[in-house]
Amino acid sequence: MTYRTASIIAYIVFFAVVLALPLVLNSFWTNRVAIYLVYSICAIGISMSWGYAGILSLGQGLFFGMGAYMLAMSLTLAVPENNPVPQLMLLNMEPNAVRDLCCVTTGSFLWIPFRSIAVGMIAGIVVPCVLAAGIGYVMFKRRTTGVYVSIITLAFALIGQLLIINNQPLTGGFNGLADLALLEIGGFEFDPYGPSAYYAVALTLIAVILLARYMLTGRIGQVLKAIREDEARARYLGYDVENYKLFIFCVSAGVAGLAGMLFTLTSEFATPSLMATSLSISMVIWAATGGRASLLGACIGALIVNFVGSLASESATFQPVWPIILGLLFVVVVLFMPNGIAGIFKAFIDRPGKAERLGGAKLAGKTERSDKAELLVKSELSAREA
Amino acid sequence: MNAVHRPSQAGAVSTAPILRTQNLTVRFDEFPAVREVDLSIADGELRVIIGANGAGKSTLLDLLCGKTLPSEGEIWLRDRNITGIGEAAIARSGVGRKFQTPTVFKDMTVLENLQVASNRRVRVFENLFERVKGRPSDKEVAVAERTGLLGSMKRKASELSHGQLQWLELAMVLSQEPKIILLDEPAAGMTAAETDKTAELLLDLAGGHTVLVIEHDMAFVRRICRTITVMHQGAVLAEGTAEEIERNPAVIEAYLGSATLSHA
Repeated sequence: MTYRTASIIAYIVFFAVVLALPLVLNSFWTNRVAIYLVYSICAIGISMSWGYAGILSLGQGLFFGMGAYMLAMSLTLAVPENNPVPQLMLLNMEPNAVRDLCCVTTGSFLWIPFRSIAVGMIAGIVVPCVLAAGIGYVMFKRRTTGVYVSIITLAFALIGQLLIINNQPLTGGFNGLADLALLEIGGFEFDPYGPSAYYAVALTLIAVILLARYMLTGRIGQVLKAIREDEARARYLGYDVENYKLFIFCVSAGVAGLAGMLFTLTSEFATPSLMATSLSISMVIWAATGGRASLLGACIGALIVNFVGSLASESATFQPVWPIILGLLFVVVVLFMPNGIAGIFKAFIDRPGKAERLGGAKLAGKTERSDKAELLVKSELSAREA
Repeated sequence: MNAVHRPSQAGAVSTAPILRTQNLTVRFDEFPAVREVDLSIADGELRVIIGANGAGKSTLLDLLCGKTLPSEGEIWLRDRNITGIGEAAIARSGVGRKFQTPTVFKDMTVLENLQVASNRRVRVFENLFERVKGRPSDKEVAVAERTGLLGSMKRKASELSHGQLQWLELAMVLSQEPKIILLDEPAAGMTAAETDKTAELLLDLAGGHTVLVIEHDMAFVRRICRTITVMHQGAVLAEGTAEEIERNPAVIEAYLGSATLSHA
């Protein structure tokens, strides 16, 4: 079995399991797994930028959080008591302010478009993309690479978190947005604890994987890989490296924003903690554990780490040391299995002992075949010359 | 610039220059690494630049391909001023650069390396929905055959020998279909047999391509070259055929005797 066949089978099995899970899970676990799948989408975003293009963003939480807030704003306004002005603004307004969204608190007019759920949903992807385009433009045009990209993105996430915490009258501050309506599209209501929200997440995840895979196995994936390998060489071949990096950074931010919206859908809140450094770094650990250069690997990494993490949080012994275990896991993965779970899977499929155990016949057949292929190319050539 | 000695260029191709530099100068912390270089390369020419270590040869190539920005002067490719337009734009306008230590995409196969190099639709959105072929195109087969890499198409670049890596980088530069090819010591670190093969390859290229080569090894230079440019302390010291250069008093003086030049 070739690696390609094996990975296609792995994808199909994964999709089947993801789609079948709600049949066997109770409502609590349906909700938990849906949230893990949201984290998987985050890990895919990391895999796209870090795994394929070598851009290690430690500020992915900024885009995730922005996505979450955009939808949460719309869902806040969808609650009847929050009309015409959300409760959080009434609690924080000046005594004689006009009770209208235009001017109840400083900047409250920014909420006006979010009266439409559609605007919230579109903004959940567009705002992170635009934000990433701005940050990325400054970074990449100045040819910032490596660890500096990580530091800058980390700093931006911290700035975002502080801005939200410090502007309580506008954002709900430290408490975030928690009193949300359920998302309703065309009369259909998504129940966070039922299969509806779960399938919204699962189908989005599958769509994201398929689109990302289609894109990254194509020409653009090849060029990104080349840029990851040797940026200067790509430039001397005529590629505007900055544009490629900017593109994948924005796509990755859009994916994180999409995940953020699904987080709001399944968790029914958005808080500044979504932009915390710890969550951004956790996303990198998920992707690294699963295999950063493998979309499916990153997904599975997020699922496993979060599942084990939630088991640990239920145990009095493990709960306090879980962050330490997570940190150690990252060190071990980076040092000993740089390609993560996906790397182990590939090594298992391509293991050299396999051919020998089949009596060497297959190995011999294989060399003969590649010789033939070479001969074929050569004869094609001489035919062309003739 | 009294030291510049320009003998007539016997045998040089007489068409308009494909690459021309004017007063090209770069200073690093006030130290001029390349000084007032006026270079003119004709279409189809194979030109070799020689000079001691630190003479500014590699820096000159860095200037031509955009890696380094000149402090003064201009670079023209045919009738286009390519000074300061950026490496990628310079590459697209037709300058191909091969480095001294091979720079290829190590984790990719030879075929993938060639595919990335030969793809001339380089913009992001042109490549967004573009598929990658599993089989080499006619063009890729031709360039691989020319550089002796046809049998290694499916191998990862990291598995190639040093000589093969040099050829792979050359093959990539050729795939770009540049108007001029800049080669920095193409035979560096090669075995005698590999050097021979490289010399043949360069002579073979000379007809259809314009090539600018930096080289240390005079024996190699004599084999491949028609016109030699000698650089010394960042400036052009002399230009001419191998015999003319070796008889040139300024060159002899700069190298403290012709024996040093021969073994440089």
